[in-house]
Amino acid sequence: MLKVDNLTISFRTDEGLITPVQDVSFEVKAGRTLGIVGESGSGKSVSTKALMRLLPGNALVSPDARMAYVNKAGETVNVESLKPNSRALRQLRGGEIGMIFQEPMASFSPVYTIGNQMIEAIRLHRKASKKEAREIAIDMLDRVGISNASARVDQYPHELSGGMRQRAMIALALSAGPALLIADEPTTALDVTIQAQVLELMGDLQRDLGMGMIFITHDLGVIAQVADDVVVMYLGKIVERGATAEVIRNPRHPYTQGLLKAIPSLDTLHDRLSPVPGDIPSPTERPSGCPFHTRCGQMRAGQCDVVEPPEVQLGEGRAVRCWLDAEVSQSAKLEIPA
Amino acid sequence: MKDDVLIEVKDLEVRFPIKKKKLFSTETQELRAVDGVTFDIRRGETVGLVGESGSGKTTVGRAILRAIDPSDGDVIFHTKKRDVDLGHLEGEDLRRFRKKMNMVFSEGSHSLSDMASDLLRAFRPRMSLVFQDPYSSLNPRMTVRDIIAEPLVAGGLMTDRDKIDKRVRKIAKRCKLNLEHLRRFPHAFSGGQRQRICIARALVTKPDFVVCDESVSALDVSIQAEIVNLLKDLQEEMGVAFLFIAHDLSVVAQMSHRVAVMYVGKFVEYAPTESLFFEPRHPYTKALLSAIPQADPDARFDPVRLKGEIPNPLAAPSGCRFHTRCPIATEECARSEPEWREVAPEHFVACHKV
Repeated sequence: MLKVDNLTISFRTDEGLITPVQDVSFEVKAGRTLGIVGESGSGKSVSTKALMRLLPGNALVSPDARMAYVNKAGETVNVESLKPNSRALRQLRGGEIGMIFQEPMASFSPVYTIGNQMIEAIRLHRKASKKEAREIAIDMLDRVGISNASARVDQYPHELSGGMRQRAMIALALSAGPALLIADEPTTALDVTIQAQVLELMGDLQRDLGMGMIFITHDLGVIAQVADDVVVMYLGKIVERGATAEVIRNPRHPYTQGLLKAIPSLDTLHDRLSPVPGDIPSPTERPSGCPFHTRCGQMRAGQCDVVEPPEVQLGEGRAVRCWLDAEVSQSAKLEIPA
Repeated sequence: MKDDVLIEVKDLEVRFPIKKKKLFSTETQELRAVDGVTFDIRRGETVGLVGESGSGKTTVGRAILRAIDPSDGDVIFHTKKRDVDLGHLEGEDLRRFRKKMNMVFSEGSHSLSDMASDLLRAFRPRMSLVFQDPYSSLNPRMTVRDIIAEPLVAGGLMTDRDKIDKRVRKIAKRCKLNLEHLRRFPHAFSGGQRQRICIARALVTKPDFVVCDESVSALDVSIQAEIVNLLKDLQEEMGVAFLFIAHDLSVVAQMSHRVAVMYVGKFVEYAPTESLFFEPRHPYTKALLSAIPQADPDARFDPVRLKGEIPNPLAAPSGCRFHTRCPIATEECARSEPEWREVAPEHFVACHKV
């Protein structure tokens, strides 16, 4: 449904060129959820913004990046070559690919009612009269579990509570009938009980509508519950990928292992937590070689800090970018410059 | 056991007046942010405080520090010599106490240091606070050394530069900051390092009690674990008591000896960590625990479905406040307020159905 290859994104900043996303490739299949996990600065949001062509003006996308999207009519659209402001791009945003952001308050306009904003989106992407669009909006709000939808539709965003606003955001994204939904930390700002409601709702809607979904979060617990496949990002690189259950049960990359160990768990209440040592390097000072070598417990001097490890295939859809695995599978082909 | 109680909170209430302007008059409503909370904190203990947004957990923390004035109730701070009832301190006494506890608010440029002359006669500061956001709580125009030293200077505890430097270096080392970092400005640091600076600042006066208000929530998981470990180590070394406020239940479980659960201005359950997490009694605690997604593909994620939303504290429900969302609520719950009682040793709960 969506195939991204060799996506590299750089930003021109006052401190020089920084590259928050490097050589990222992933795929989303219809009806499945791809989870993207990573800490701050790992490039998880930036890479999905590129899919919608929503990057700011100082961003540079590498010329060999390919983003092939198969739309509802079955045609393949190359997102990277669409003209800005073109009709095709406008159709893609919202109509084909919907997006939910972390801050629902920031994504609604405060001066229009929820209904007004939904009707605008619906009429942009579907053939519907104002009255029909309003019906669709009410139906959608009802579906996401907003009680008394016919009254809520005329309310302003500030009149809704946080959880309700996030649900309205989901309704807005879904009202145009997208085939792929990108959810960027949709539950991070919500309380746990509301988060559970929203996660359940998104799962149900996905099943009903058969959407593909990209779910971005830093919370491995959430990923374990919602995603079929997962990619783990660190400093703009995908360090590990695979089926969620497999990655969590049997993590191969030291970073994934560290992340999983750092999560406090009720089973190990009295044990000390094991943090990943060190700090996340700033984007202006990217480490050479493997980006994780500065914090890795199994770092080998002269190799990890000099040459970047290749992505090693470990099975269907399962891959890791680490010298530890690279050695095992292709020790003969190793070439380390002196 | 009772002897080492450090802070005793009795029937604490904090009410905020909410003014609504009408055409010719103003209507004042009362928001009961904290509505009758009773608990104690022992020396060297961590008490966790969990609850969803708007439940009043931050207000409890601030009311104990007297950063907000409690409307009713007592906050008793047991010192070695005499007990001080913080809830009823007034005028000169309150001023003197504030000097003592010496909270450090250096959010932006709002710093206590310009009140230094007023604080000269201060005693040994006993309380402190670590904020959530390590970015906005450090003054960008001060060096790390000055930030950490500020409680000492502002409280008039030390005037000798060499002595201050010595103390700052000692605490910085304990908080795993490099000594060369002390000359730098906050912008040069990452989130985890900044939070370590905040902790050093809170502990430089060797307080008995520190409120950590969502102090690890803004950090990435890999960094968060390190700060949790650091706080635990410092507690062991210095015997400081923490009130650890957070919405993330697993972090609270890791940090705390006892945990209190708050819902719309009231405690619903207060128990030692293990009993609270493994034998929760209150339906709200149960719902909260079931809603944590576990990073374990084998764990069944089956959250208790709570109807509706957290009620507006301006119009808190009658009877038990949780009855509007509670899966086992009956008519009685809507009518009468459940009593706060001890159902097992040290395990308190307020529910009709327990």
